[in-house]
Amino acid sequence: MAKSILVVEDEPNIVLSLQFLMKKAGFDVRVARDGEEALMAVEERAPDLILLDVMIPKRDGYDVCQTIRANPEWSDIVIIMLTAKGREVDREKGIALGANDYVTKPFSTRDLTEKVKQILDSSG
Amino acid sequence: MGPRLFLIVCFSALAAASLASVGVGTWLISTELPEGAQDVADIVIVYGGGIACLLVATIAVLWAYLDYAIAQPLSAIVRGIQTVIHANPDHRIEVDDSHQLGNLPQAVGELVGQLAQARSTVSAAILKATESVEHQKTQLGIVLQDLHEGVVVCNLNHSILLYNNRALELLHIAGEIGLDRSLLRFMNRQPILHALTRLSNRVAEGRHMRHAEGVMVSFVGSTTDGRYTLDGRMSLILDSDDVPSGYVISFEDDTEELAALGLRDRLLREATEGLRAPVGNLRAAAEILNSASDMTGEEQTAFRQVVLKESKYLSDRLETLSAQYRDVITGSWPMTDIYSANLLNNVAHRLREQSSLNAMMTGIPQWLHGDSYTLVELLDRVIRKVGAFAGTDTFELEAVAGERHVYLDVVWTGGVVQTSKLSSWLDDQLEETLGGLTLRDVLEHHKTDIWSLPHRDGLARLRLPLPPAIRPPSSRDTRNRPSRPEFYDFELLKKPAQLGQLGGRTLKSINYVVFDTETTGLEPSAGDEIISIAGVRVVNGRILTGESFERFVDPGRPIPKDSIRFHGITDEMIKDKPPVQVVLPQFRDFVADSVLVAHNAAFDLKFLKLKEAECGVKFDMAALDTLLLSVYLHDYTTRHTLDAIAQRFGIEVQGRHTALGDALVTAGVFLKMIEVLEARGVHTLDEAIEASNTIVEVRARQASF
Repeated sequence: MAKSILVVEDEPNIVLSLQFLMKKAGFDVRVARDGEEALMAVEERAPDLILLDVMIPKRDGYDVCQTIRANPEWSDIVIIMLTAKGREVDREKGIALGANDYVTKPFSTRDLTEKVKQILDSSG
Repeated sequence: MGPRLFLIVCFSALAAASLASVGVGTWLISTELPEGAQDVADIVIVYGGGIACLLVATIAVLWAYLDYAIAQPLSAIVRGIQTVIHANPDHRIEVDDSHQLGNLPQAVGELVGQLAQARSTVSAAILKATESVEHQKTQLGIVLQDLHEGVVVCNLNHSILLYNNRALELLHIAGEIGLDRSLLRFMNRQPILHALTRLSNRVAEGRHMRHAEGVMVSFVGSTTDGRYTLDGRMSLILDSDDVPSGYVISFEDDTEELAALGLRDRLLREATEGLRAPVGNLRAAAEILNSASDMTGEEQTAFRQVVLKESKYLSDRLETLSAQYRDVITGSWPMTDIYSANLLNNVAHRLREQSSLNAMMTGIPQWLHGDSYTLVELLDRVIRKVGAFAGTDTFELEAVAGERHVYLDVVWTGGVVQTSKLSSWLDDQLEETLGGLTLRDVLEHHKTDIWSLPHRDGLARLRLPLPPAIRPPSSRDTRNRPSRPEFYDFELLKKPAQLGQLGGRTLKSINYVVFDTETTGLEPSAGDEIISIAGVRVVNGRILTGESFERFVDPGRPIPKDSIRFHGITDEMIKDKPPVQVVLPQFRDFVADSVLVAHNAAFDLKFLKLKEAECGVKFDMAALDTLLLSVYLHDYTTRHTLDAIAQRFGIEVQGRHTALGDALVTAGVFLKMIEVLEARGVHTLDEAIEASNTIVEVRARQASF
């Protein structure tokens, strides 16, 4: 079965690209447009990986990350934060709250695709 | 001409005149005599000669008497007056009683006496005024020395009349600064001359009377070696007639602030103007790609390349700019280096006084960079909210040194605060005096954020990263004091204490007091005494910074100069402090039933033991020595000074070389050692003492050779 990815983003322009890239790489892609929608999607069916923007409406990315990590059942989900917050302390906060990686915008689409592929391939 | 010479001249003239009149008279008489009266002529000549002799004799006697009775006493009076004026004000003028000057010597004597008295009154007044000026100067000196700013006072020739330590620190570099040297050798001349001209003109034209800054002007200066940019202020010193007689300059090292300001400006310019062109290129290409339908494949590829190239360029540029911006350490909000112990102490105090919350400080204090006032406000607010949220009234406050930040951690029993909740608290405003500043603004000023995480053993933690201090005192303190030599009293450490159940408990679960003493010297049995003792409690593997003991002790003897380089404590500092008989029982109470820990413990214990009888206390509890444990753990090296061990364990050494500073570092080292000891199979107090004893035996054997 294809690995599943949840894209949590409220900016349609980048959703367009991410959805396109991940589908093309052969993953099953769902999209959530705010924090609450994201958590509902995870509850409905836990994805293998989440591309999580920090600045999203309702509950922010940090909060979504922390909530997911608080549930042991979801400990296998890989969380990659995609964010425009580029300070060292923001990255540290993301990692501290349970993100596996922290990618700042703008990023190279090719690098991101490679990264996702590598993580999901190695997790079997 | 003196009176005596004057008399001689006068009387000589008188004698000459007398002789001349007698001679001429005799000659005239003898020529008027008729011829043949030769006998009469002879007689006349003989009489004339006799009269002449008599006259001369009379004149000589008269002269001698006048010289003796008038001229000589007058000369004596003149000499006496000269002595009083030029040499000895108390000189009494003495003249023989046989003088013929009437009351003159007496009158002169009185006059001189009164003069002397008036003079001594004046000099007493001058002395008093000088003392008061000296006192004020000393006071001023003390105030100046304590100022954080550099201060230099100069005359109009730029000769330095007065300066303080900070001035020396900033200006020293270009050679020795000293009194009566020109300031222009140490600070670049143009800004100073310009500031002085502005002020002089302002005063000359009388504008200073209504000028907002009076006789003061700000300027940006620099040291002649170019190392420091100085934020300076010059004030003219005016005399009573409003004429400038000198100037005062106060200044602060502004190098970093100005550099940061410059960099911020440049980044802003590059972020706006620098990005216009690439964004323009990108937009043009994208619009053309979108609208032009009749494009050849080749043309399309060319435009696509532009889009690709420019967006890549923009990405990279943005990355560089924001990386550079992150390095701009100081913001527009004024910040200073702060000692976390002081900051957290303030927070703890406020929580206790205003909200009845208990906050206990743990860990080793760190130096950080921030604005103390708004940070205290922030922590106070957030902790109160956590208290209400988690239903707890007890917190631990700890500063932790990280790689890039110093973390202020707040720990409590209970649940983690969800990020969204924490975030909603941050919109609260601080007091009105801060112009509606929110908690989030305080975080932004410090370029940081705050988050909550689970902590060990069901505890939760709030973490606030802050920038580390720019110039922590340890880097400022260039005094490099020597370490105390290792000291062993083998009997003292070898003897296992009567431990009972305590011996079987794990090292982590035991309560310790880690302590250090400073002493007048190395030989307690030869009369050396404790001058300072400090300890800190370690409970459940945490250093309780808030529960520390620190006292100076009056050793009842002068502190040897040689020992001051070890501890920096002077006689002045222990003046009025209690004697050891008061302090040791207090320390014994503080220790209670804890295990003692010290670096080179035998040395400190020896001092305590020798005072036991005198102070009516016993230090018979178990003791561990971090020096012996270090030898046990790291037998590959011979470097076991506290500094070396702290460095080995990566413990930041701050505020060293005070008893409390050293005790804190020792505590940090000891906690790390417990971890390593456990890894080496040493778990209980008994086992740790046994491990120490093997080292003592090895060293005892070495010492016996």
